[in-house]
Amino acid sequence: MDTAQLHAGVHLENISKSFGPEGARTLVLDKLSLSIKMGEFVSVIGPSGCGKSTLLKAVAGLLPIDGGTVMIDGMTVEAATKQKKIGLVPQSPALLPWRTVLDNVRLPMRVNPKANANRNLRDPQEVLESFGLGAALDKYPGQLSGGMQQRVAIARAFVFDPSVLLMDEPFSALDELTRDAQRMGLLDFWQSNRKAVMFVTHSVPEAIMLSDRIVVMGAHPGHFAEIINVPLPRPRTTELYATDEFRDLEGHVRETLREVMGHKSA
Amino acid sequence: MPKSRNLRWSSWAPAVVTFGIAAVLWQVTAMANPYVIPTLDQVGLSLITDADVYWANMLVTGLEVVVGATAGIVAGFVLAIIMAEFQIMERAIMPLVVVVMVTPIVAIAPALVVAFGFGMMPKFIVTALVVFFPMLVNSLAGLRDVDDRALDVLKTLHASRWEIFRDLRFMGSMPYVFAGLRIALPLAIVGAAVAEFVAAGQQAGLGSLVTIAAAQANLPVTWASITLLCFMGVVLISLLAVVRNRVLWWSNSATAHRQRPSR
Repeated sequence: MDTAQLHAGVHLENISKSFGPEGARTLVLDKLSLSIKMGEFVSVIGPSGCGKSTLLKAVAGLLPIDGGTVMIDGMTVEAATKQKKIGLVPQSPALLPWRTVLDNVRLPMRVNPKANANRNLRDPQEVLESFGLGAALDKYPGQLSGGMQQRVAIARAFVFDPSVLLMDEPFSALDELTRDAQRMGLLDFWQSNRKAVMFVTHSVPEAIMLSDRIVVMGAHPGHFAEIINVPLPRPRTTELYATDEFRDLEGHVRETLREVMGHKSA
Repeated sequence: MPKSRNLRWSSWAPAVVTFGIAAVLWQVTAMANPYVIPTLDQVGLSLITDADVYWANMLVTGLEVVVGATAGIVAGFVLAIIMAEFQIMERAIMPLVVVVMVTPIVAIAPALVVAFGFGMMPKFIVTALVVFFPMLVNSLAGLRDVDDRALDVLKTLHASRWEIFRDLRFMGSMPYVFAGLRIALPLAIVGAAVAEFVAAGQQAGLGSLVTIAAAQANLPVTWASITLLCFMGVVLISLLAVVRNRVLWWSNSATAHRQRPSR
């Protein structure tokens, strides 16, 4: 459908969200607007408490918003979840410990099977193999390292071919060396399965390495301070870290973050 | 799977020593006070000479425990599911449950005997009642305390309530369910014994045996019956541990890797 093509991806318009009791409400998201096109990788970065995870939950339909609209592939979040258009990778792997790796990745097919029709479901085994988990199919999550568990969680989000992927600091619990390997693995896989991605992080190099655009968020209330383009060519490799372009971008993002965080401790 | 088979003496010897000391103390006390407690050999002799009597009574109490506990466990878990899925049901039923549960079971038992006679029925009911409450409370907590982030993943897939129950809540509740069973199963024996106390005389059972023998100041029989009640509890708890290890083998590794938001 042409209109679907036109609206593919994520569109946020003026979304607002407050928490707290009537009369003492705190504004957490202040009229945020953003579009993520199909095949575009957008990172959201900001200090803790700026509302980036709240934003992600709102886009995932897990949190009702007070104002504005969230559209996914041209439909409401509710309709999009019904059609299984959203793949979520939470902060922790959140795997079912009593199920094998393969069964965990099959979960999205087992659930809401009505939405399985007319879509390009992937073979769970193949997806896991491409994530380097071919030997772990029949293992249980408790037998895997943290990095491997997170890869299973990412495989689970890719396997049912959603059009939008939402990732909430998926690598934040891993050590730096593992993180880098996970990043490049994700990038490789995404390169051949270009979805619209919204990736919440608080690592500047991670945001630059992965993204087409970086949204820098400020707090109190959560707002978009700046949207920074990352014009680095793809496919990207770890060699990029050492280039001048990368360092310039890193300086720019860090500078913006400093401004956002006020002049207090920066 | 245990790595070592726990055969090293340092694992079992301390408990054996404790039991040994307790036995010696008991024996010494009993020999000094023959009208207060029986000696261990008197109890042992009674168990051997009247083995068939004890066996028959143990079967009766065992049947009460098995039937009553099964009914209480199933009822508690099913009601917990209903309450977990429908908040309004919790608000409607929980106050009644609490009222029933704060009523002393020792007080309910005679009333049930009046209502249902001296047969097995009041014993089933009392046993089921004492098992029911810890099962309900623990199952309810377990069905609610599932991994929030796994729940988020299921919700973004538009999982139905049934699918969330099937894929997450049922197994996720099992650590709590087994914690509940650990409390409930010993209580089941208490329930059966108490029910037999108040309906003693008519029907058999180890609880009846205790009251009858105690009334006749027959110390060896009293304490032999008590020993067998205790033995039943040990058997139940051991069986539970075996089943728990088969069902919940994933639980320890799961808690080690699952990160909950800190509060």
